[in-house]
Amino acid sequence: MGDPLTDERELKEAFDRYVVPEIEVLYRVARSITRNATDAEDLVQDTMLRAFRAIGRFDGRHPRAWLLTIMRNAQINRVRRKRPELMRDPDATMDRVASEDKDDASPEAQVLDRGYEAAIESALDALPAKFRTVVELVDVQALSYQEAADILGVPTGTIMSRLHRARTRIRKHLEQHGGYVNGRPA
Amino acid sequence: MIRRPWYRSKTSPASCREVGRVLQHYLDSEMDPEWAARVTEHLEACKDCGLEEETYREIKSSLARRQPSATDDAVARLREFGRSLTDD
Repeated sequence: MGDPLTDERELKEAFDRYVVPEIEVLYRVARSITRNATDAEDLVQDTMLRAFRAIGRFDGRHPRAWLLTIMRNAQINRVRRKRPELMRDPDATMDRVASEDKDDASPEAQVLDRGYEAAIESALDALPAKFRTVVELVDVQALSYQEAADILGVPTGTIMSRLHRARTRIRKHLEQHGGYVNGRPA
Repeated sequence: MIRRPWYRSKTSPASCREVGRVLQHYLDSEMDPEWAARVTEHLEACKDCGLEEETYREIKSSLARRQPSATDDAVARLREFGRSLTDD
C-alpha cells in the first residue's frame, strides 16, 4: 500500500472515483437494512462522511466492499446510540433493525386479489429478519454473496445457507398462502 | 464462486442430485462457468429439474423487480451531499 493521500485535489479525485459511483448501490442496500427511506438516506450520508475522512488511507482495491464495511460499522453505531441493550449481538441487531416496521396484516389478507407480485411481497414479509435481509441484498439489490457477507459481517457460507432456506420458505409460502405451485396458480 | 469437486470430470454430465445441490448458486451466477454449462445441459434435458429451476428463477425475477420507490430523488440528494463534502 502506498503513502496516504494528503493533497486536497487528490482526495477529491479519489472520492469521486471510488465513492460517488457507488452511491446508488449504497442507498439501495441501506433501504434493505433499515427498511426506512429517511434512515437509509441518513445512513448513506454517515457512510459517505466516514469514507471521505478515510479516503486518503484507502488503497483503491474493492471500493464497494470497503464502503459496505464502513456502512455496516456506521449502522451498528447508529443502533448502539439508539438501543444500547442490543449491542451484545451485532447480527441480532441488524435483524432487529430490519424487522422494526414489519406489516402486521395477515398473509392471506395481503395476497387477496393482488397476484403473484403481491404474494412474493407477503412471503418476503413473513420471513425472519435475518433471512429477509439476505434475500433483499442478493435478489433485490443484486449484490454478490461476498458483498452481502461484507455488509452483514458474516461468512459467505452463512449467506448461502440463509439464502437457500429463505427461498425455500418463500416457495412454501407461495404454495400455502398464495396458491402458487411451481410459480403458477394451482 | 463455487467449483465442481475435483473427483468429477469437468465434462461429465451433471446428475439431478448434483444440480439440486448447486441450483441456488447457478441462479445467482456464483459458480464456475464450465460447471454451470453442465448444469444448463441437464436443466434443458430434465423436466423435473427444469421445473425446479423455473420456479426459483420466477421468484428471483419477481424479487429483482421489487425496488423501493423514490430512489432517484434520494440518490440525487446524496450526490449533492457528496459534492458538498469535496467542495468545502
